[in-house]
Amino acid sequence: MKTAHAQSSGFHPLFWWVWAVLSSVVVLIMDKSQISLAAIAGTLTLAARFKGSSYWRTSFKWILRLALIAFTFRMLIGFLIGVPMPGTVIFTLPQIQLPDFLVGIRLGGQVTEQRLQATFNEATLLAALILIFALANSLSNPHSLLKVLPRRFYGIGLASVIATSVAPQAARSITRVRIAKRLRGQSGAGLKSWRRVAMPVLEDSLERSIDLAASLESRGYGYFPETTRYRAPIWQLRDSLGLSGPAYLLASFLLLSSISSLLFAALFFFLMLTPAVAK
Amino acid sequence: MINFSKVSLIYPNSQRTIIEDVSFEVNEGEFVLLMGHTGAGKSSVLRLINGLVPHHTGGILSGSISVAGRSTSVLKPGELADVVGIVGQNPANTFVSEIVEDEIAFSLETLGIAPDVMRKRVEEVLDLLALTPLRRRNISELSGGEQQRVAIAAALVTNPKLLLLDEPTSALDPIAAEEVLSILHRLVHDLGLTVVLSEHRLERVIQFVDRIILINGDGSLVLGTAEEVMRSSSIAPPLVELARALNMPTIPLSVREFRKLAPKIELAQKTAVVASDSSGEVLLSIRNLSAAYQDSQRTYALSKVDLDIRAGEVVALMGRNGAGKTTLLKCAVGLAPIIEGRVQVSGNDPAQLKGPELIRNVGYVPQEPTDLLYGQSIVEECNQADRDNNVDEGSTLSIYKSLMQIPNLSSHPRDVSEGQRLGLALSIILSAQPPLIVLDEPTRGLDYQAKKTLVQILKRIAGKEGRAVLISTHDVELVAEVADRVLFLADGELIAEGSTAQVLNASPAFAPQVAKALPHTNWITVNEAERHLDAQK
Repeated sequence: MKTAHAQSSGFHPLFWWVWAVLSSVVVLIMDKSQISLAAIAGTLTLAARFKGSSYWRTSFKWILRLALIAFTFRMLIGFLIGVPMPGTVIFTLPQIQLPDFLVGIRLGGQVTEQRLQATFNEATLLAALILIFALANSLSNPHSLLKVLPRRFYGIGLASVIATSVAPQAARSITRVRIAKRLRGQSGAGLKSWRRVAMPVLEDSLERSIDLAASLESRGYGYFPETTRYRAPIWQLRDSLGLSGPAYLLASFLLLSSISSLLFAALFFFLMLTPAVAK
Repeated sequence: MINFSKVSLIYPNSQRTIIEDVSFEVNEGEFVLLMGHTGAGKSSVLRLINGLVPHHTGGILSGSISVAGRSTSVLKPGELADVVGIVGQNPANTFVSEIVEDEIAFSLETLGIAPDVMRKRVEEVLDLLALTPLRRRNISELSGGEQQRVAIAAALVTNPKLLLLDEPTSALDPIAAEEVLSILHRLVHDLGLTVVLSEHRLERVIQFVDRIILINGDGSLVLGTAEEVMRSSSIAPPLVELARALNMPTIPLSVREFRKLAPKIELAQKTAVVASDSSGEVLLSIRNLSAAYQDSQRTYALSKVDLDIRAGEVVALMGRNGAGKTTLLKCAVGLAPIIEGRVQVSGNDPAQLKGPELIRNVGYVPQEPTDLLYGQSIVEECNQADRDNNVDEGSTLSIYKSLMQIPNLSSHPRDVSEGQRLGLALSIILSAQPPLIVLDEPTRGLDYQAKKTLVQILKRIAGKEGRAVLISTHDVELVAEVADRVLFLADGELIAEGSTAQVLNASPAFAPQVAKALPHTNWITVNEAERHLDAQK
């Protein structure tokens, strides 16, 4: 028989969130595209490793698309708008003259290698951060936060649960609407149809959240000062082991900063994967 | 236990009062049924009792309600959690934990029950609801009936004095429904628990309840013993209608009572069971089909199923929760992954049909009709369907009008009654004129009136229009009324097939009330009984 704990991804309810914070801090302070790319590769590997059938797992693939859109958008913005950056010119876009008070900002114009480098850096960083938190969100049951947050504050518990269930529930509703569209014999998937998808997705989420809030309310959540635990989620050895990778990275970065970034990226990729080993 | 004194309830932005100046009492240890037409306000009254209405939902309330001596106008639902347990209409939305055992314990954790007491209570309630083998299972992997039992367990574990249930058997097959109701019956008798439940399928519950609260929908309600209310109520199960047809002086509430009280019906011979006619064109053909669950790595949902559905017939697919009914229907529209075998609708593989091609061959109304709807108003949905299916403007709307009394065109599809929503989904599907229509569990949440309308619609679709209809359902009374043929699935395998009377009468659990009450006749519906009795006179 499987233990109850092994049924979720096997970790403490807060595990993936701590993992995400550690990993994202490393990505942020390193601020290098190699590191960000390593982080992206790491999250994708972990997502493949922890596949599951629960509905919240499916949100990752949707946020993956979102990250791709964010990346593309950031790259485009980088090409088009910004402060001029000197350096090797790769190509030149037609420039639009801006009024004088917007001095220093350009629209179009020369795209230099440095500019490309900087934009790529920021875009990958953005994508990496989105994916790291999307992974944490999709690997932890949104309701499990209720178990570890202080019980006395009904509002905090409920708000955090609703916040963390937005993505998974939206993913579920998108699937629902897509099936509905197929069954109704629609084939188009343009921008207009996306607007039609958004409303029912929001309505679904609202309905589920209201049902959940009613359930919590009528079960007395947050009303009784003393609460007890049936089987408290315990921070186990495997949770610590799983976090040892990103934690070690963070520490090593703070201690020795002269390591080559390519080597660090490789190191980062592998050490991000410690949860896969710890499980 | 429950005391309503001069209670009125009205929702803001609504013209209708749900209840007006209503006073009644429910005593400790009573088993009370709330009934009424869809939208009459059953859920509202139920939620008034523990204060979710108006504390959680809004609404204007006058008068006073007290539960176990506590007034709900002062106390919030959470402060009543130790005396009232409530099981909502849709348990899947209300679960907090992943694991069965944890979900049950969660109710105790919030109340701050000591861990050793908690352990004992959880064990007791697991035993009581026969959940021990499932205790470490993931709730999302359980069947509807099992989830319902988990929700009841989570409400019962706190030892409440009062248990409220909103349509607890609507998603359950006849056997699972019987299990849940007999557990409630036992709790009322053994532990003195007070139970108030709302339900549409009276044939399932009426034999267990002491009193009935009938919500008329005009603000008034009738409270009486089950027999008193059944004598005159416009909503009645087949057994009561049969008793009325036979002019029986006492109205029986169970099959057993009926048999004791009923006059003897002499028949020269049993009515012959007509074999279903198999002349129509084959519209759905399934050969050697094995398929998996869509969202689970569990074993086969279907194995080696063979069947044909022909034009002009209504075929009912029955079986217990989790027998593979929905998977089979999904295969017919190409939504479920097929492992082996072949599915063809009018000669095409449904999984290969794209866009409008699919709906021109087969129309599917899912379990929740809302799953098909995503517009902001009825008229928007209808216009969208006209455009999708390339038909004249207004076609869908006129189909809808021909099916039933339609609601206000500008109302949101979520705000209309279950029956009207089902009608809308069906009209959208019908506007593409598919020769084959598939409906998954269409009677969930429908009252008897809406069900009658549905039966007429389905008979017309199959009869006059010559389409084929495949429905999966737990509702034996619906099957008795509408189906020509019944297919019975168990554990993914097709185990019985034949004319409706044949299959239904062969299984005690799935036999309709008329068949149980008059076993020597082979009749399955009240209409049929009336027809034969009239002929005899």
